Parts: sequence; structure tokens; C-alpha cells
Amino acid sequence: MKLDIQNVSKRYGKNNYGLRNFSITLEKGILGLLGPNGAGKSTLLKMIATVTRPTEGLLLLNKNNIVKDPNYMRKQLGFLPQDFGVYPNLSAVEFLSYIAAMKGVGGPTLKPRILQLLDGLNLSDAANTPIGSYSGGMKQRVGIAQALLNQPKIVIFDEPTVGLDPEERVRFRNLISDLAHECIVILSSHIVSDIDTIADTIAIMKNGQLLHTGKPDEIISQIKGKVYETSMRKENLTAFKQDHLVVSTARSNGNLLVRYLSDTPVSDSISRTPNLEDAYLFQTKTITA
Amino acid sequence: MKSFLNIVTFDYLQRTRSYGFLITLCISLAIAYSFVPEPNANYSTIRIGKYLGAYNAAWFGYVTAIMTSIFLSLMGFYLVNSGIEADTKTRVGQIMAGTPVKNRTYLFAKTLSNFLVLLTITALVFLMGIALFLLYHDTGFSLEIGHFIRPYLFVTLPALFFISALAVCFEVLIGRFSILQNVVFFFVFCTLAMFSPPGDSHFTLDVFGSKIVTHQMEEQVHQLTGISKKNNLTIGYILGDVEASKKFEFNGIHFPYPFLLSRIAWVVFGLLMVLGCATVFHRFDFRRPFELKKRKKSVVAQTIPKDILLSNLTPPKIDYSLFPLVKTEFLLLLRKGKKWLWLFNLIGMGLLAFLSFEMAHKIVLPILWFLQVGRLSDLTSKEHLHRVHYLTFSSDRPIRRLLLSQLLAASALMFTLALPLIFRYGMEGNHIATTSIVLGSIGIVLFAALLGQLSKGKKLFEVLFFLVSYANINGIPFMDYFGALHTALPYVLELVALVVLLTVVTLGFRKIQLKQ
Repeated sequence: MKLDIQNVSKRYGKNNYGLRNFSITLEKGILGLLGPNGAGKSTLLKMIATVTRPTEGLLLLNKNNIVKDPNYMRKQLGFLPQDFGVYPNLSAVEFLSYIAAMKGVGGPTLKPRILQLLDGLNLSDAANTPIGSYSGGMKQRVGIAQALLNQPKIVIFDEPTVGLDPEERVRFRNLISDLAHECIVILSSHIVSDIDTIADTIAIMKNGQLLHTGKPDEIISQIKGKVYETSMRKENLTAFKQDHLVVSTARSNGNLLVRYLSDTPVSDSISRTPNLEDAYLFQTKTITA
Repeated sequence: MKSFLNIVTFDYLQRTRSYGFLITLCISLAIAYSFVPEPNANYSTIRIGKYLGAYNAAWFGYVTAIMTSIFLSLMGFYLVNSGIEADTKTRVGQIMAGTPVKNRTYLFAKTLSNFLVLLTITALVFLMGIALFLLYHDTGFSLEIGHFIRPYLFVTLPALFFISALAVCFEVLIGRFSILQNVVFFFVFCTLAMFSPPGDSHFTLDVFGSKIVTHQMEEQVHQLTGISKKNNLTIGYILGDVEASKKFEFNGIHFPYPFLLSRIAWVVFGLLMVLGCATVFHRFDFRRPFELKKRKKSVVAQTIPKDILLSNLTPPKIDYSLFPLVKTEFLLLLRKGKKWLWLFNLIGMGLLAFLSFEMAHKIVLPILWFLQVGRLSDLTSKEHLHRVHYLTFSSDRPIRRLLLSQLLAASALMFTLALPLIFRYGMEGNHIATTSIVLGSIGIVLFAALLGQLSKGKKLFEVLFFLVSYANINGIPFMDYFGALHTALPYVLELVALVVLLTVVTLGFRKIQLKQ
């Protein structure tokens, strides 16, 4: 299984690009897409999911052009869009049966599979209740279930942890790790902690362009020796922010503990081990796309 | 006051910037264009016996004004009756509910915004009326703008304001039951439109304000002919007999003060209705039954679910059968709206079984099918409305499988509803009528599917289906899509051609939509 994305662009109007010259090659494993809102993550994912077409470039799955033959991709795809809805008058079992029928999945094994998925996503009690009465997190879990109905070879999750509670997030990360043994998993988020521990490869995007791609360690190593922490009074923070890239602030003994990125640390600063969040902010705040 | 004006302004902008509004505007103008037929046209819209009005400013002004009052009240209700629903769907309503804005302020703002939307259309129809006069007027008549302003001001605008208020009240009281809204408005509109004032002083009770004008037209013809014959005025699209008609000169009317006061009274009545509804307005606080159930259960110790291991799941089996899709689409159609509303359908089916063929076919069947407007209107746009389209459009062969299943399910529903009549015609050996009804059931479903795809909403179909059904009940032949008024074989062939054409356009349009 190999997904090859070659110089893909999506143009709206003459010079307005949602995505520009994006190229990446993926094989089994997890790709974490990171980027601020409007970076082009959802546009890219919709193109891979064959929901929208690229203006330029090629999308090849096992050397098959999925722009020309979208059904080749659709047969092996599990897709959880960012902004998806449900039919409120159907129960979870009925809705999943409906989506399964659209995916071309059926037969006597379908019902047990649906029930197993609902059980694993802690929705068994509500399996036969209309989805209209579900909470946001429950609907999100129905969305995750529908993406796994067929035996997908490519799984796309666009902002999947929205509405999930901390326990469900952990369980979802375990699920993705399991999926990665057999599938290409593409996971987008602007929350770094959703991605940092599970992604094999990370792609950082901004303004429709790919800023950087690589293994998490490689990305983090770029800012080695640039992360510091210092303590200061609250009123000094605004002036400090003008000269330094502040990653985070925390209260400590009446002062603020400020974590920042810099080549030249201020006095009384302590060097810290960089993490993916530092690297992400470094990429998106300092590099112009 | 500022918040009130802000709600009105932004609500108005939000509605008028939609694609659906533009389509409705174009259709309204197309209909308005036909209000005063061009001189060689083979139809008339208002006639008194054998008399038609001479094409002077008064005829153009008054005819377009009363036709707008009636038609825009009918269409306009469907155009504006979703202001609160839109706030619910977009969740702007919940934000509004958390602000200090009062229920009555919000609902008055919605009423005014509804009215402004209708006023925009009326303004364009008004200008079109003047343009039509300049194009078609008979020689010797000049443009007298007062003959345009007065009827629009005293007839059209109060009626539209009342409809704007009525739409808000319907949304507050029965907004969550869209099918019930359609049914109730259908009967309210028919009752109001068929209201016949028993005497001159009762014109005040006519909400559309048209009866006083048409009465004056009748009176003028009676004076001309010397014959006092009641009920020979017809409004609608009347085919033929235009060349043989005689002309009379209508010079407008002087609106009596009681009538003018009654227009203000209708506006005030509308506002009072809204004020009354403000006391029971839900303010976007809907009960969520499942959450309540869940809360009760929460005392029970929860079991920790097992992790999902994909390799442990029952393996899926490939199955491209269409049946599960058709079944679910049929279920979605059946479950739309409240269960008890099915009582209307059952009564309709009962009437189809026992009433005379003429009554059943010409009156009951179009009404029974119209009752399904809520089910059909979002047949192909519901994926967008419920934001399921990314899931459906990324599934395998969505045109061939999904669209086909939607068309089959909806046609099956319409066919089932008409079954008693089809069965009776079948027993009689009337195959032309049977075929016409089957083609009608397919045709109206295709029409709904096409308009849903075109507008990505449900309003356009709702408005047009209402017009078509109203025309069916009034026996207008060229709207007869189910052979109630035609019994010849060539007409059945025309219906077949229509169904084929609609099928090609609907499938083709979906294909283009998916490519985009």
C-alpha cells in the first residue's frame, strides 16, 4: 500500500490557494498533520478522500490515479471528516448499516461487526437510540465507528478528538496505533499532544504549504539548544513577547514561569529539553510559507 | 433598539445573500412577468365573464398588486418560515439565548426581517409591473404612478406583513413539526383565499385585501352590461377565450377609510400574535430525552469498555446490493415528522379508496402527495443539511447507488400512498389513469431530487410544489403531472417524456456536482 501525493494544489480563484504544491509519499504507519487553522489540512484530506478534486497535481494509490478513478480509493477508505453530521432519526446501528451499505459492505457479518465497534467505542447502551439525542462526543464516536466499517487500508481522521473526554482520547490513540500495523493512517490536528506520541511521520503545514516533514525526533532536533525557561513578573510579559517566541506560561510563586525559544537566552534562563510543541511553534511562527 | 435593528439587519443580509433566495427571486419575477399577459398571449389572469381590463396604468398596478398579495403570501410563507430554524441549526440561537435580548424583541426582529425579505421581492415585482406597462399598454393611456403605489401600499404590504408575522408564530408554536406546518398553512391559506365577504362592509375581513378591488372590477362590468351576475370573476391562469373577450376600462378604486383602518388592524393583529407567541417561545432550550435517561442511569457502575482491535473484529463482507440503502432511505422518509401525522396520510388513503374517482384523483391525491412535501423537499439535499455529504460522497459509486436508492425509496412512498386509487383504476381497467398516477409519483420525486440538488436546500421545491398543488386543486391543466384532467394516451406519452427528461437532468446534474 503506497500513497503518492505529487505537487498537489487546490486553487480558488486566480491567486487564492487552499493548498499549494504539496508532495509526500506514504506507506504503512501514521502521518500526523499539524498546522494552524486555515493551513490547508482539511483541504488536503478531502482531496485524498476523493470528496474534492485537486486543481493541479497527482494523487496515486498503488500507482492508480484516484482523481480519475476515485472508486479505487473509496473501496479501501475510512474517512472521518472534521465537520460531519448524522441523520438524527436513525439509531447508531441503523446509521452504521446505512453507511456500510454505501461502502459496499453487508451480509451476515455486518451486524456483529457494528455491535463490536459500538461496544469498543462505549456506545452499546445507546446503540438503538436515535442519534439526534446523542451528545457531541457520542456522535464523534459514531463517526469513528463508520470509518472502520469496511476493512480500510487508508484511514483519514480529520480533527478526530473533538468532543472526546480524556479517557476516550487515550483509547482512541490506542486504536490508531493498532490500525497503523495494517493501514496508512493520516491524522490531522492542531493539538500537538494528540499526535506527538503516536505519529511515525509528522508534516507541518501553514498557509496551504508544507513547511516541514520528518520523524518527530528529527523535527525536535532542529530546536535543540533553543528552548529556555525563565521567571518574570506578569507586567513584563508583553515586552518580553515582542523579542522572544513564547511557547507557554505558567504561574509560579506569584510570578510567571515562561517557556520560550531563542538563540540568545536572557539571563537567569534555564535550558530545557525541546518537545514537539516547541518545534511546531518554531516552524509555524518563525518560518514564512 | 440598537440590538433590535442589528438582528433585523444581519438576519436580512444572511437570508438575502443565499443562493436559494436568488433562485426564489428569479422564479418570483418569472411568475410576476405572467401576471399581466402580453397582448397576444392565450391566457388571462383576471377576467369578469367575457371582459378583460384595458391595458391602462390602473389595470397593471392593481392586477400586479393583488396577484402579488395572493401569490407572494403563498410562496413567501415558505420562503421566510425558517428564520428561527436556521438559528437553531447554526446554533446562533443558543448564543442569542445567552444574551439579554428579550423574546419579543427577537421575534419582532424576525417578523420585520421576514417582511423585508418579502418587501425586496415586492419592490422588484412593482418595478416589473411598471416595465410591463411601458411595454404593453394600450394606446392613449399614460403612466400614472399613483395607480401602482396605492394598491401595493394598501393591499399588498399589509398582507405580506401579516404573513411575515404568521410565519414567526408558526415557527414558535409548531416549528419542530415541519409537516404539520405545511398542512396547517395549506388549510389556513385556502380558507383565507376562498373567503367571500358577504357585504361591502366585510372587505375589512379580507387579509389579502384583494376582494375589494375585484368587487369594484365586477361592479364596473355589471354597470357596463347592465346585468348583475354574481361570481363570474375568475383569478388564476385562465387559458383561451382571450381574442373573443371584450375590454372595459378599469380606473382604480378609492379605498374607504374603514378598509384602510382594517389594513392597520391586520398589521397590529399580526404583531399581537407575535407578542402572544413570545410568552411561549422556547428560546432554544430543547429537551434532550436521551441525556435525561443517561443521567438516571449514571448511578450504576460503568463497565470499562475493551479496546478495539481491528484484527479481532468480524471481517466485513463485500455486498453491493441496493436493498439496504433503499430500505434506510425509506425508513428516513417514514420517520420524518411526528408519528401521529401519519393519521392524515391514512385518512387520505381511505378517501382515495372510497370517494368518487373524480374527487379522489383531482382533489385528494394532490393534497395527499402535497402532505409529503417535507419528506420530498430534502430528499437529495439532506446529506448537505445534515452534513453527511462527506461520508456519502466518499463512498463507492454515489450516483449509481445512493441517488438511485433515494429515488426508488421516495417513488415507492408516493406510489404506496396512491395505491388505493391505483388499485381501483386497475380493477376498472383504466390503464391510462393508472399509468399516469405511477408516472406522476416518479415525476414529482425526480422534480424534488433535481431542485434539491440545484438549490442544495428544500425551500425551492416546497414553494413550487405548493404552487403546483394549488394549481392541481384549481384544475389548471398544464400543471397536471398525474393525469387527473387528461385521459388520452398522447398525454401519457408526454408524461413519459417528462419523466425521462427529469431523470437525465437529475443524474447528469449529480454527476457534475460530484466532479466539482
